[in-house]
Amino acid sequence: MAVAQPVGVYEREDLLTGCQAVAEGIRLANVDVIAAYPIRPYTEVMDAISKIIADGKLVAEYIVADSEHSQFEIVKHAASVGARAFAGSSGTGWMYGFEALVVTATDRLPVLFLVGNRALDDPGAFGVEHNDALAIRDMGWLLCWVATAQEALEHVLLGYRIAEDKHVRMPMALAMDGAFLTHSQHIVRIPSQEAVNRFLPPFDLGERRLHPDNPVSIAPQVNEDWVMEIRRQNWEAARRARRVIATAYEEFNQVFGQRYRPPYYFEEFLTDDAEVVLIGMGTVAMPARTAVRRLREQGHRVGYVNLRWFRPFPTEELRESLRRFRAVGVIDRDFAHGAPDDGGVLLHEVRSCLYPVRERPAVVNFITGLGGRDVSIQDAIRMFEITQEAAREDRLDGFVTWVGVRE
Amino acid sequence: MIKRVEINYRGIFQKTLAKRIGGDIVMIAARMGQVGFSNGRYSDAPERNGIPCKYFAFVSPDLSEEELEAECGAKLDIDEANISVVLDDTMVKGVEPWAWHGVRPINEKVVPYGYMLVVSRRRPEDLVRFMARKPYPYYLAILEGDASFAGLWVYRDDLTHERVLGALAALDPQLLSIEAVKGYLWDKTHEEHRVEAAQKAYESVRHNVHEVTPLQGIDWPYEIPKLPKWHEFSEGVVVKAVPREFHLGPKGQSRNQLFKRGTTKSQRPVVRFDLCTKCTLCWLECPDQCFDPTPDGYYDVDYEYCVGCGKCAEVCPVQECIVMVDELAFEDNRSPWEHWKRDPEGYIRWAEEKKGTHRVLPNVVTGTGQRVVEAEPVPVGGKPKPAARAGA
Repeated sequence: MAVAQPVGVYEREDLLTGCQAVAEGIRLANVDVIAAYPIRPYTEVMDAISKIIADGKLVAEYIVADSEHSQFEIVKHAASVGARAFAGSSGTGWMYGFEALVVTATDRLPVLFLVGNRALDDPGAFGVEHNDALAIRDMGWLLCWVATAQEALEHVLLGYRIAEDKHVRMPMALAMDGAFLTHSQHIVRIPSQEAVNRFLPPFDLGERRLHPDNPVSIAPQVNEDWVMEIRRQNWEAARRARRVIATAYEEFNQVFGQRYRPPYYFEEFLTDDAEVVLIGMGTVAMPARTAVRRLREQGHRVGYVNLRWFRPFPTEELRESLRRFRAVGVIDRDFAHGAPDDGGVLLHEVRSCLYPVRERPAVVNFITGLGGRDVSIQDAIRMFEITQEAAREDRLDGFVTWVGVRE
Repeated sequence: MIKRVEINYRGIFQKTLAKRIGGDIVMIAARMGQVGFSNGRYSDAPERNGIPCKYFAFVSPDLSEEELEAECGAKLDIDEANISVVLDDTMVKGVEPWAWHGVRPINEKVVPYGYMLVVSRRRPEDLVRFMARKPYPYYLAILEGDASFAGLWVYRDDLTHERVLGALAALDPQLLSIEAVKGYLWDKTHEEHRVEAAQKAYESVRHNVHEVTPLQGIDWPYEIPKLPKWHEFSEGVVVKAVPREFHLGPKGQSRNQLFKRGTTKSQRPVVRFDLCTKCTLCWLECPDQCFDPTPDGYYDVDYEYCVGCGKCAEVCPVQECIVMVDELAFEDNRSPWEHWKRDPEGYIRWAEEKKGTHRVLPNVVTGTGQRVVEAEPVPVGGKPKPAARAGA
């Protein structure tokens, strides 16, 4: 598709890994405070950022913490004084700092975090699995998956734009598949600083900023007299975030050309006349899209839905989209031990989203790609075939299939 | 029918005592064929020294356990109390367990013709004069005794636990009969003196019950704060700080208006400014910054914020200069330094009268409870002498 490209919006192209693309985003967002603690696959982003600072391309406080817990506390406090802050982690490191993460949400501080997805944590496993980032899903966070390095860079800018919006002010987890995106090099178009400045306003925490000229107390102890009201506030922010997300993409498109299409929260690929679709998050989009093309060449009416925004979940938009199809195959690169029907996390979100629809599509589930296992085009084709079968039979049992497990 | 008993106690010292009383009410009521259960107010943080807290016991002669639990279980506080036990009489000045609760009257939950049972050596009128006026009559019963620390393992048992059970039997024999109390205590301990303590308390309290009419008590001076709706306070739980202000003199330092914590104290420090050497230790050591520097180099006390911890008296190097005195001896929280400046001799006479002739030595773990010694008063114009240190 040919898109109108405003002149001077992108200043150069470079071969970047997903992590390096995020680092470029951090430079362009002129982040003030970065806290770092190594764990692969996240580590590469801290390397890339420190190099950018060393090269004099970004002036920022770069603090190497003594653990993820300290790392996350540092950026939380940095945000409270009005600094644009960045941190990130993977797998068990992310979990180790969880106390700080949940408080960052209730403190409503819009820090951006990179989660380089990593398995939890059959000793030493460092391949991609989404359970690490998904663990934050109920805690008042924005949670978004990107599938390419270009998207990764752009979602750093979008992430700050959305998280820092005065109607939102929630922390944001930018999730990307370990190895397959964090360490995979692609040509990335790097925006010019001038264009980024037109899109991304400076961070202003307003009356909540902790400063000697604005003395405030943050996070006083609260009890049963307050917690429900605090949750209600957070819920309201998440509701407002749905609108802000759409606005931010529209503004992004105005500056950078038509990069993203509505409804933004997810991206549909060849779904217009589709009978069945797969839906997934992250790099599984790559084999899935190719499978769509190959199957379409054989006359199958299939499509793919790449879900970006997991929190807030785009309930109405996704419901309106998926209700058009006869069957939906949900790809989970995660596992929810002991969950209903032993399905994955995304299955339950999608199925719950579709429940109010009277004539709803059949929903089947695929557990695949766990712990960094690759998902091939052939795997994706098989998932489409099972989903097509579900569309014919509308089966209710045995609809969770493990794809790629040795058996 | 449900009988609700609340036990007002001070953390941390009386936490175990209150819990044991609540539990034993249930056990004794069960001996009488009733059902019951007991819990503490979970929102309390009774680990805080002196903070007003509550324990509850619920008893019913006719409801099933399920129905009793449905009515009274899984609730933070009760709506009404048939009997409100007060284990430390200084709580009659009001109780404020947390910020935003306000200073509540101790008799807030007592029903018409219900009972307040206060452990005290005061006369009823000396308690009622601090308590809120209620629109209906109720009874004030006094169990003679001191605020007990015996629930804390470092203090000697003083039988307050058994005596409160005996006193409850005197107030409501249907709730607990004295026979059931005594039978329970004997079966549990086989110690005659515990049974006797309950019996004696039963007899004495029966003659120490006083009707409090709607004419008695005071118009409650404290406002109960209204909690804001979810959209009426800052997101991120950000609270405007108290502006930092300072001037020399009473209340010269800005403090948090929303949680004064003064109801935490059972004693307050009385200062003999004429003996003060301006050593600054009280001001430095006070954990709650209650001492306000004055223009002439002394330290005034803001009693609204003093929690009565006694640290100032403990560190004061001058004998008789700072002495902790029973909170019920005082009518108001006015500035002692202003009082002294206005009328030096009158203030010292007033202070010595409040102090009385006994001194409780700073709290040390002796295994025998508090050590009380005779005062060595210093007359007006007397010279400061070094304080005797505990353990010295």
